[in-house]
Amino acid sequence: MIIVIGAGPAGLAAAEAASRNGSEVALFDSASRMGGQYWRHRAAVSGYRSNRADEIFAKVSSAQSITHISEANIWSAEREGGLIRVNYLQGGIESSLTAEKVIIATGAYDRTLPFPGWDTPGSMTPGAAQSLLKGQGVLAGKRIIIAGTGPFLLPVATGLAEAGADIVALIDANSPLRWSLSPLALLTNIAKFSELMYYARLIRKYRIRPQFRRAVTAYEDGVATISAINSRFHIKPGKSQTMRADVVAVGWGFVPDLSLGGILGCAQRVDSDGTVIFEVDENQMSSQPHIWIAGEATGIGGADLSLVEGEIAGLAASGQTIEKALLRKRVRKQRFADALKRTYPVRDGWREWITSDTTICRCEEVKSQEIKDSVSDLGAEDSRTSKLFTRAGMGLCQGRMCSRNVSEIVSGITQCAVTDGERIAASNRPIAAPISLGQLSDGKNSR
Amino acid sequence: MTHTITFTFNGNAIQCEEGQSIAAALINSNQRELRRTRFGDEPRSIFCGIGICFDCVVLINGVANQRSCLVEAHDGMIVESAQ
Amino acid sequence: MKNPDAIVIGAGIVGASSALSLTNAGLKVLVIDRGAVSSGTTGAGEGNILVSDKDPGPELALALHSRNLWFEMQDDVGDSFELEAKGGVVVARRDDGPLMKLASEQSQHGVMIEKCNQSRLHELEPYLHPDISSGVFYPQDAQCQPMLAAAHVIRTVVQRGGEFISQAKVTRINVENGAVTGIETTRGTFNAPIIVNATGTWAGELAELAGSHLPIAPRKGFILVTEPTKKYIFHKVYDSDYVANVASSDADLQTSTVVEGTRSGTILIGASRERVGFDGAMNYEILRTLAAQATSLFPVLRDVQLLRAYRGFRPYAPDHLPVIGQDAKVKGLWHSAGHEGAGIGLAPGSAALITDAILGRDSFMDAAAFSPARFGRVKS
Repeated sequence: MIIVIGAGPAGLAAAEAASRNGSEVALFDSASRMGGQYWRHRAAVSGYRSNRADEIFAKVSSAQSITHISEANIWSAEREGGLIRVNYLQGGIESSLTAEKVIIATGAYDRTLPFPGWDTPGSMTPGAAQSLLKGQGVLAGKRIIIAGTGPFLLPVATGLAEAGADIVALIDANSPLRWSLSPLALLTNIAKFSELMYYARLIRKYRIRPQFRRAVTAYEDGVATISAINSRFHIKPGKSQTMRADVVAVGWGFVPDLSLGGILGCAQRVDSDGTVIFEVDENQMSSQPHIWIAGEATGIGGADLSLVEGEIAGLAASGQTIEKALLRKRVRKQRFADALKRTYPVRDGWREWITSDTTICRCEEVKSQEIKDSVSDLGAEDSRTSKLFTRAGMGLCQGRMCSRNVSEIVSGITQCAVTDGERIAASNRPIAAPISLGQLSDGKNSR
Repeated sequence: MTHTITFTFNGNAIQCEEGQSIAAALINSNQRELRRTRFGDEPRSIFCGIGICFDCVVLINGVANQRSCLVEAHDGMIVESAQ
Repeated sequence: MKNPDAIVIGAGIVGASSALSLTNAGLKVLVIDRGAVSSGTTGAGEGNILVSDKDPGPELALALHSRNLWFEMQDDVGDSFELEAKGGVVVARRDDGPLMKLASEQSQHGVMIEKCNQSRLHELEPYLHPDISSGVFYPQDAQCQPMLAAAHVIRTVVQRGGEFISQAKVTRINVENGAVTGIETTRGTFNAPIIVNATGTWAGELAELAGSHLPIAPRKGFILVTEPTKKYIFHKVYDSDYVANVASSDADLQTSTVVEGTRSGTILIGASRERVGFDGAMNYEILRTLAAQATSLFPVLRDVQLLRAYRGFRPYAPDHLPVIGQDAKVKGLWHSAGHEGAGIGLAPGSAALITDAILGRDSFMDAAAFSPARFGRVKS
């Protein structure tokens, strides 16, 4: 039995590949439908690359040896003899499943940066606007600004425009000219051009005017401030404009969810862009025996890379041969993922956008000034100690939204770079999903 | 055809399609403020949309801190933004 | 700082209180820590300032005095660390005989107690399981936010002429003719004739650096933290099942779960009497045990969600008493460590004992029971 955790592109590819030799697969996902955040489509799949999603959904659904365990939240995992047990909640009841092998493909969520007003209604991530639209059939607003950085802003903007929203601005903090830094990645991934052309056509069709080297630096009372920024993200004086919008959707790339692999002791490292990811070998195997990891948790790279990694992990876990061509394909996709990181960096000039009363920790309502005071008055030297003094990162989301930002703010004051150890510690949580004390104690009695 | 269901939010009836999340149903009914924060009494709404940030938490049938972006609305549910 | 009078190693609550007490006695104090302030055991503590869980004896005497010193420290430093005399409620679920006997003994040693019948118990804790009908209220039990306390105390020390140097790991303790002369650290060499070892779980290693020995070992303890809730729990509440077995050395002794609310609205669930060390990585069975004990006291917690769980390392000596006093072998090296799960509560009392001993003054109690010499001179 192989447990695959996550039914996004990586998990689906892993399950499908593992099932080819008849291996029993239990495919876990917290949503009711397959697809993950990337292929989150309500009834039918639409938009770019729909065929590939349809194909893999069909294969996974029809495979006899794959059991799709939907709406299941895995909150912990543990070793039991030579096996791995995952503990999960489904319909309010805790259950567990034990298997010889596990493939973790838990994906990623939007990375966010604080700015004045980012905690007011109307400010959300592009992923939220996307999930409302594709998952729920609801438009987040009428006049929408899409901002941040990265290619994911394109499908969000065009998707919302297609559904009838007025995209009043599409803003990337980086310049597309930065792609010139990565000619090899472009040349070896020609197919990406047709994807770009697809979105370029839609952008023209809906008269969206993309802007570059700008950022939403404040949002108050339905008015967004759009500032011109330099390559370090410092605001260029005198070049700000304001714009009315009922939604500002701002995203700065993605953060992988590491909880389960971390609980199982899988080794992690800090990627070139500061993201904490898992170490895997060429077969996607983690540092821990019988655990493979695929997709965003091994480095943010998008759906194309996730599909290849998932396929490799599925084949490896089920003991099938991995063709050299597939490994070469991963090298090519990895090159493109590296180019994405080079093209869309997040620079630390954002720390100047915040004011003393900007909320940093949304859950515990910790303001920027409190973080600063914890360093200058109380002697905090990293996010951990700052958090002990201010409660930043101690709330319901357990620092998933703010811990990286707190580290960067503290580092800006102490002038000491954030250590890899701090980044890794702040990315790990012993409880992967909320569980009630009643459910937890019932689990004891049933064992 | 999709089936329409009704739940209440802070006592007001909200109609939505079966299968929609509570947050989506509320946003669709122009109810953007989902709760107020416990220290600063600030309004909050949906933020990450996928269950990570917990900003959209509401009281559902008396159980606190439920993520309205993840929980499907059902007929007769009592949803409140009280802490 | 050139030529401090004393160096305190360790910026947890024990080191911070020692530094403040020495500073207030007129000494120039340098505090150093291998990490930042509150980065060790203090940073993983619940902030327990308890008298209820102590048997009559030297530790109870220390706890009672220390508890009052906490409030004096608050007057001295400022109301900045959420100190609150919330009181403790110990309940008896089965036979309440052992608890009532202990409470009577405690009251003869200065502990304020109120034996509670069912209606009084439920007046104190309305959400307590309705079947629980007997218990004892300890109004002196208190709570603070220990990380904030250590930080504000260190800040006060610095304001009064002391100095704090972080990220300085001690690499060597210089001893001449059987007395300390100073320390070498990763951030320089510092000389002083008085060195206070307040390094908690690392106190044994530090003693080794001075060529001495201190049998202090770390023990893991788990704490559960829930989501913020409406106020369900008004005191520190725990079960007295352990009382009957307290004298036993049975290795399978149960933990006793302490349940309490915090100002931020979360509920902490930890173990007050941990006679058994938990080892290994995150142990979900222990989380289940703690959750089961907490929900059996407060059924309302069944619907409350667990947010996180963490392990703290608690320093303990073989006889479970703190080690407070001058090293048995090296003059000028003073230890204040090994407080196990009670370090927050015992910190200012320990600081007073250490300061009095260093200055050769009479103290509020005889500290012989805490003497480092009690372990004998090993490896001389």
